[in-house]
Amino acid sequence: MTAALELSGVQKRFGATEIVRGVDLRVEQGERHALIGPNGAGKSVLFHLISARYPISAGRIALNGETITGRKPHEINRRGLSRSFQVTNLFHRMTVFENVRCAVLWSLGYKYSFWRRVENLADANDRAREIVERIGLAARADVSAGILSYAEQRALEIGITIAGGANVILLDEPTAGMSRTETEAAVALIRRVTEGRTLLIVEHDMSVVFGLADRISVLVYGRIIATGTPEQIRADTKVREAYLGAEAANA
Amino acid sequence: MELVLTSLLNGVTYGLLLFMLSSGLTLIFSMMGVLNFAHASFYMLGAYFGYAISTKVGFYPALVVAPLAVGAIGAAVERHGLRRAHTSGHVSELLFTFGLAFVIAEAVRLVWGSTPVPYKVPASLDGPLFTLYESTFPTYKAFMMLVSVGMLAALYAGLTKTRVGLVIRAALTRPDMAEALGHDVPRVFMLVFGGGAALAGLAGVIGGNAFVTDPGMAESLGTIVFVVVVVGGLGSLTGAFVASLFIGIVQTFAVAMDYSWHGMSLSRVAPVLPYLIMVAMLIVRPRGLMGTRET
Amino acid sequence: MSPQARRRLLVWGGYAAVLVAAPLVFHKGFSLSLLCQMGIIIVFSLSYNMLLGQTGLLSFGHAVYYGMGALITIHALNLVQHGWKFPVTLMPLVGGAAGLFFGVVFGYITTRRAGTTFAMISLGIGEMMAACSLMFPGFFGGEAGISGNRSSGGAFLGITYGPQIQMYYLVAAWLLLSTAAMYALSRTPLGRMANAVRDNPERAQFVGYDPQHVRFMMVALSGFFAGIAGGLAALNYEIVTAESLSASTSGMVLLATYLGGIGFFAGPIAGAIVVTLMQTALGSITNAWPFYFGAMFLATVLFVPGGIASVAVLHKRFWDAKLLRRVIAVYAALAVPAALALGFSVLLVEMAYNASDESRSAFRVLGYVIDTTATATWVAAISSTLAAIAACGFTWRAVSARWAEVGAALAGERKP
Repeated sequence: MTAALELSGVQKRFGATEIVRGVDLRVEQGERHALIGPNGAGKSVLFHLISARYPISAGRIALNGETITGRKPHEINRRGLSRSFQVTNLFHRMTVFENVRCAVLWSLGYKYSFWRRVENLADANDRAREIVERIGLAARADVSAGILSYAEQRALEIGITIAGGANVILLDEPTAGMSRTETEAAVALIRRVTEGRTLLIVEHDMSVVFGLADRISVLVYGRIIATGTPEQIRADTKVREAYLGAEAANA
Repeated sequence: MELVLTSLLNGVTYGLLLFMLSSGLTLIFSMMGVLNFAHASFYMLGAYFGYAISTKVGFYPALVVAPLAVGAIGAAVERHGLRRAHTSGHVSELLFTFGLAFVIAEAVRLVWGSTPVPYKVPASLDGPLFTLYESTFPTYKAFMMLVSVGMLAALYAGLTKTRVGLVIRAALTRPDMAEALGHDVPRVFMLVFGGGAALAGLAGVIGGNAFVTDPGMAESLGTIVFVVVVVGGLGSLTGAFVASLFIGIVQTFAVAMDYSWHGMSLSRVAPVLPYLIMVAMLIVRPRGLMGTRET
Repeated sequence: MSPQARRRLLVWGGYAAVLVAAPLVFHKGFSLSLLCQMGIIIVFSLSYNMLLGQTGLLSFGHAVYYGMGALITIHALNLVQHGWKFPVTLMPLVGGAAGLFFGVVFGYITTRRAGTTFAMISLGIGEMMAACSLMFPGFFGGEAGISGNRSSGGAFLGITYGPQIQMYYLVAAWLLLSTAAMYALSRTPLGRMANAVRDNPERAQFVGYDPQHVRFMMVALSGFFAGIAGGLAALNYEIVTAESLSASTSGMVLLATYLGGIGFFAGPIAGAIVVTLMQTALGSITNAWPFYFGAMFLATVLFVPGGIASVAVLHKRFWDAKLLRRVIAVYAALAVPAALALGFSVLLVEMAYNASDESRSAFRVLGYVIDTTATATWVAAISSTLAAIAACGFTWRAVSARWAEVGAALAGERKP
């Protein structure tokens, strides 16, 4: 079966510095796959490569079997891949509702049309309302995104990411900076909204990773040193050495 | 042959003058991310101050005092104007420098009138330096070259050899890091802006009497400087140097030679050429020849 | 009828009513031309705000679309004079079509980049077109310009557009239509995504939109409306010169839009009205008016970046929160020093202009003749100005606590 996302020999150089040194990764359809690794390993950069924020130096990335290397970010998004950002990236002057509505417009086929008022687009409004409820922000729907609380912004970030109906979702440290309660709520939300879709998530919080992921890949110094189920990863000595060892010592 | 050589010398002189302006603009842009539309206005102020001081006291004192005065104005502009505009965002900064250029031009018009002022080359520097074939190369042009080269050498030395220069270069690429390390980055910004203005002012003092000194000089030269900075590459000093010389020489040659093509003489099309080059460059390669950043 | 629909009817109905009634209130001969001028600049400024306020695109060359619209319209008008059957009433559409055409061509070139690069390309193209207009005087009219006759189409239902009042109602009708169209546009998917691209172009990409294409479409459409303004100008003034393509026209629309307030749809309307009034009023009183304009622009950028509209909205909030009385108290305290500082600054500027003016005429202030070349006069004037500014500073320091209080009270009132 075609992998949802497949990376082959992906490399990224910034000048003379090699950040991603040849990554092979396979995310299966409908799988929840976590990407972990120490700081500076290149996890966010890898996300930026997949979503074409940065151009790739070498290698190939395929989405549902189709090569997407070299495509522009909006083209990749239209092919069914959506991502969230580590630093909240919203339309801060629009309300929560308007943010989500913007996120559904393209997928409903409205494109660049300028002859119908957006208030009269019943399907866009219904869809947006439904998603705003699903992410638990129905009570704050008319609030400007810029003045939401941090956890609310992260929830909205997730909402915008899934609103377009993409099948492959990339979440970049969605629970960063959250308290225990907020994290639990976020994980429940993520599990709900990614039901039936493929998820690739970068995380530092191990409880989230082990609770959510079907499979885990470990990225160290730009290379994947292990891939497997949570139990396999927990038991892997290389991983323990490079990463979990330090974690366990600090835990 | 003689035309080529004289045009080349003139072109290089002009190009060095352009570099004095574009280097300041590049430094300010690289460091603060602001394209200073008022940069050529500092050049104009330098010329007018040079004129005012040289008629009252003398040319050589003007050479020192005028750039300092312009530099002080530049620092004050940064401290009280630009910094405030910065808090309202990128567009506000651009609009501020744009409005400032306009206000300075109008202020100059208010004080000195709309007609060109008789800013003359000092008698001690007037006259030919040497004769090349049949045309003479004016002493003053040699003086201009000397001052430009000297100033730029000093700038280079300052940036690479002194501690302040090191901080400036650090703040050039990583202002937040430089600030975290304890350096007063706002003070550095003020220094760079004032320094750039002073450099432009110096160019005005020596250029104002070689070329014309009138309220429109900022606008005409300003656009050329923009073209230079864009072609050379936003953020690159070497690019600005190469582009300054290139455009200086090309423009001098275009004026000196008078080719006609389909009834359109080169001198008639000349005004549009810089814009065409700039637009073409911005479309094809917004980074310019050697630029490191686009915006 | 729902409250929103009722409110909408009230606003647009009121707008239409004002447009219809204006010439009845302001009927002195000169006022009618002023009203026409205002109407044209309003359409022009609203079209500019489609770029600046709605899409976040700072353009220094917007006059190109206005100017080309005007030029094509005047040529079309001359064609009508030579027999082409086309209703003069619809002439602004010709201008709009021209504006749209150039919007598409230049839009494609310029929107491949954003931010500072876009601003610079727009400057370059604006200067290029202005230079072209002097290089090809046959088509562009050169220094003398191209003239036309708006009554050349013959009478239609008794309307020839000869009298200024008929021209006014033509301007008013197109103004109403254009405003409604531009407002409606801001509420369409394209309009919303333009706002999104302004706020966060990267995010817009990741919801499936190409920011470049959004910008391109907005440039093209704003060119259309700028062209309509140009067409109206061609009809109104019956002459089109190189001035309409010039950098100063681009600067003027930038000033009018920014002064009015780019964050609100109706902001540029206020800005256009104020700028037109000031241009006429100031222009007749003093020759130093460009300086005042520039100073006003700088003051707006530094102190009131939200423009007139933001000031109006703020004071409406004060009113709603019943804080207006306290605010007025602060203003009253500042009134005298501020007026003095302003008055002396204006005096300085006028003295400077007088002193540098070759044809020096007697400089009168309040009936007294002042010698503007005497050093003593200058010393007195400069020191008075500095003293007044210092007085302002003192007063401000005294009342700033009260101002902060009012601000805090308002913030407390505001619901998150």
